[in-house]
Order: sequence, then C-alpha cells, then structure tokens
Amino acid sequence: MIGYVARRLMQLLPVLLTASALIFGMMYAVPGGPVGVLVGENATPEQIEKVTKEFGLDRPVLVQYADWLGRAMTGDLGHSLHSREPVAKLIGERLPATIQLALTATVIGLLLGVPLAVASALTQGSWFDRGLSGWSALALGVPTFWVGILLILLFAVQLRLLPAASGYVPFWDSPWQMLRNTILPASTLGLYVSGIFARFLRGSLIAELNADYVRTARSKGLVESAIVVRHVMRNALLPFVTIVGIMLAGFIGGAVVTEAVFTYPGMGRLVIQAIGSRDYPLIQGCILVILVGYMLINLAVDVLYVYIDPRIDYG
Amino acid sequence: MSALGSAAEIGKRIVVRKTAALSLAYLVAVALAAAFATTVGFDPLSQNLARMLEGPSRDYLFGTDELGRDILARVVYGARTSLITAAGAVTLAASVGVPMGLVAGFFGGWRDAVLMRIVDLKLALPSILLALALIAVLGRSQVAALTAVGLTGVPTFARVARAQVLSLRRRDFVTAVEAFGASSPYLMFRTILPNSWSPILTQMVVLSSVAILLEASLAFLGVGIPPPTPSWGEMLRTGKEYLYESPTYAILPGLMLTLTILSFDTLGRALSAVLEGREDAPVRRGAGPA
Repeated sequence: MIGYVARRLMQLLPVLLTASALIFGMMYAVPGGPVGVLVGENATPEQIEKVTKEFGLDRPVLVQYADWLGRAMTGDLGHSLHSREPVAKLIGERLPATIQLALTATVIGLLLGVPLAVASALTQGSWFDRGLSGWSALALGVPTFWVGILLILLFAVQLRLLPAASGYVPFWDSPWQMLRNTILPASTLGLYVSGIFARFLRGSLIAELNADYVRTARSKGLVESAIVVRHVMRNALLPFVTIVGIMLAGFIGGAVVTEAVFTYPGMGRLVIQAIGSRDYPLIQGCILVILVGYMLINLAVDVLYVYIDPRIDYG
Repeated sequence: MSALGSAAEIGKRIVVRKTAALSLAYLVAVALAAAFATTVGFDPLSQNLARMLEGPSRDYLFGTDELGRDILARVVYGARTSLITAAGAVTLAASVGVPMGLVAGFFGGWRDAVLMRIVDLKLALPSILLALALIAVLGRSQVAALTAVGLTGVPTFARVARAQVLSLRRRDFVTAVEAFGASSPYLMFRTILPNSWSPILTQMVVLSSVAILLEASLAFLGVGIPPPTPSWGEMLRTGKEYLYESPTYAILPGLMLTLTILSFDTLGRALSAVLEGREDAPVRRGAGPA
C-alpha cells in the first residue's frame, strides 16, 4: 500500500511539471508582463530597468522558472506583486474557507442525490424516475449564479432569514454562525452536484440490479431491502466514489462563480482577484495549489477503493 | 439514402420527442428574435434616466436597469451575444480539436501521449479557471471571450475524434482504401472523418450549452465581453448589485439563459439517442462552472 501511494505520488510529478511550466510560460508571454504591473503605466525607463533587475526578471525565462520551481518545492511560492505578502500565506488564509464550503456542499449534494438515486433506481420507468431525470437535467443546466441569486432573493431579500453576503466562520468557532453563512452557497453548489450524483448512482445501481448475483440472492429468498443495502449498494458505490471525489476536487478551485455570488472569501475569489490584477506569483501559486489538491483528492479516492472493495489490491 | 433524405429522417426522429421538439422551437424563437431585434425596433442602449430600476410596467415589460434601459430589449440583444459566442467557440473548438484527435489516434506514439496529457490537464483544471487565465493573457474583448471559451472545448473534440479513429482504423472499408495506396491525410480526413460526423455533431450541440454557460459565467465575473454590449451574464452581474432596489432585474436574463442552456442540452441528448442509440448522454464531467 505504501509503495502504491509512493508510486502514485511520483506519477504526479510530470503532470505538475508540465502544468506549472505551461502556466509560467503563458504568464510571461504577456506583453508588459510582471514588470508592467510592478511599476505602473507611467514608469520611466530607469524605473523599469531597476525593477527588472531587482526581481531578477532580466534572467532567461527558463532560469526564472527553475528558480521558482526550486523555491516552490520548499513551500516558498514567492510574494504577491500587490500586497507584497507571501503567496503561501495568502493561500493559507483562503484554503480553509474553500475546503469548508466544498465539504458542506458535497454533504448537501449527497443528502439530496443518494436517496433520489436509490428511489428512482428501484422504481425504474415510473413517473418518479422520469421526474428525477428531469431534476438532474435541471440541476446541471441551471447556472449556479442564477440559483444563487434566486436563493438570495428568497432567503435574504424577501424572508430576511439569512445574510446575502457570506463570510467565512470556522465550524469550530461557532457551528451556528458557520451554518448561517455557509448554507446558501453550499446549497447552490449542493443542488448542482446532486443532479450529477443522482444520475450517476442511478446508472450504476441499475447495472448492479441486473447482475447475476442479485438474481441468486432473490432466488434464495433474501428480502429486497437486504439485497439493496447489503449487496447492490456496496458494488454500486465503487464507481460513485470516483464521481464524488472529482466533484469535491473540482470545488477546490472551481467554485469561482458561486464564491463571487456570495462574496465568499475562498480560493476562487483569490484567483479572480489575482487574474484581475495580473498578480503573476499569486496566479501561479493558486493554480499549483488547486492542481495539487485535485490530484491528492483523486489519490485519496483510489486508496479508499481498497477499503470499499476488498477485491482490489494495488500491491 | 441521400444526405438530405437522411437529415429529414433524423429531424423527424428528433421532433417526435416532445422535450426535444420544445427545445428546438424555443431555440429557433430565440435565434429569430436575436436576428430581427433591430427590425422590430428593440433598443438596448437608449437611456431613460428618469425611470431607473423600475419594475415591470406597460412601457417596459420587464422593467428598466440602473441606467433606465429597457431590460427586455437588452435580453433580446443578449441572445445575440450568447448565440454568436457559442457558435464561434464551438466552431473553433471543433476545428482545432478534431484534427488533433484524428492525428493523435491515427499515428499513436508521442502525438497521442502529448494529447492525452493535455486531456488530463483539462480534467484537473476547471474550464472556468482555464478560460480566466486565457483572458488574463488576451485581455478583455469579444474575441478573447470567444477564444477562451473555444479553447477550453478543444480537448473534448480531440477525445471524441481520437475515439472514432481508434474504433474505425481497423475496419474493412478503411483497410480497403489504405490498400489502394491512399495517403494518411486522405485516410484521416476523407475516409474516417466523414464516418465520424454523428458523435462530433452531438458534441457540438452539447458543447453549445457549455459554451453559453461559460460565456455567461465569465461575464458574471466581470471579465466577459466588455459593456455596453448586452449579455445575460453581465446583466445578472449588475442585477445582483440591485437585488434590494429591483428584485425583478435578475429574473428575466437568468430565465432566458437557463432555458437556452437546457434546450441545447436536451437537443444534444436527443441527437445522441437518435444518432448513436445512446439514451443517456454522458454527463459533462465537471464541465459546467460551479
């Protein structure tokens, strides 16, 4: 097992190298580049030269990249061009907020999606089942920012129950305040993934329900509920866990729009801010962290497989 | 069967599906409204500062925005922005992605390895981040929005085309053409590609919905097509600022956007069912920005 994890971690390196090189290259291809951001529009040639020297931007791009990479390995992602604070610190402030939102959203998605999937897989072809496929199309198709706006209109503007803008309150500080602040953005994302979860789980449940072992179980007189819970669910969960992992990983960097709707202080808003102000070290740092997060979650999912499915042995 | 005959046949098989027929009718209506908006006399730009942020009324069916502009007129013009961007982006994605996929699948080896790494990367990075990074490089303009949305769709088409090559490469009709001494480009573009149009077409329709959503998301984040060009995403962005003053502002643009996305999606799924016999179109793996 440890050998497997180590090997998988080694495999991540080439992907990360390619990705970071691409991002680095792209950012430095921009006319003006980081110097332009540092000195402003009305800089004199002397100022430009001074800043270029000071930040080592006159060195070949490859040397700069190697330098950045070497530091990144030790956890030093450089400094923000604007606030001059360490990039690692800025990301460290936002990451917990994003993880908390991603987890809450996934829980809401599961609470909605799993019962719907089970109910519709067991009543294949019924009006309920058809209703569900409409629901998942809707959950996937309705833009999250519109859902978010409608939720704000209902719960903040009309009912005045919840805040329209969500702050980050750590769960351990105040579970109640955390819930008040997170429930709207998390529901927005949760509704969206519930459609994906339901559609996927229904598919794999139906595939399992038609398997031979289910016929065997039925013919030996097992109760239907026992068949579903003890046999079918366990087998159907395997492909489903991958999807849950992918969606959770996607939320680490991909909840950009929802975070913007609720002005939630997560990674997504940090990225937007960084891109908007052309804060290159910050953009690179964010994308690197998002990629690493995505890959680690996928690795965790693969490791989890071993526990759900004893047939799998990575050796 | 002639090409025209089979197209009519496919059309018939799609239209018998009620939701697909409804989606098609809606999209045709939106396209017509967008095309003839000027003729009908909609004016999305004229301001009436005396009547800012009004709710629905006889003069302004869906109210006015923060500059006293007609929201209905802006929504109709927004359809134009959305549809043009989607059409351009999907065309760009297909014309770059399909040849890439054909070449990768046909030759295999390092070309295939490079393509698959790009596809991996695309799966790891949400499209919205990719599009944002591209706009950071290209600057904010209509062309930039179209290019950014289009490029994020390239790996999808590359994958579809690659899968087609892999499944058709060893089929007898391809081997026969090859035996006649046809060149590799001829095999790829004249033999395999014409037999691959159904999954590609399906993907184009499905990706139209993704493209519209992505363009609207970029506009919502304030980096889409620059104002004063009306766009649904931009309207939702400003509408969100005035939720307390004018709660109806954000309703219409959001509704139109949602219906358009759902219609393309439904149509894509119907196409996939009719052309490829697959009832359940593949879920767009995290393709939609959240």
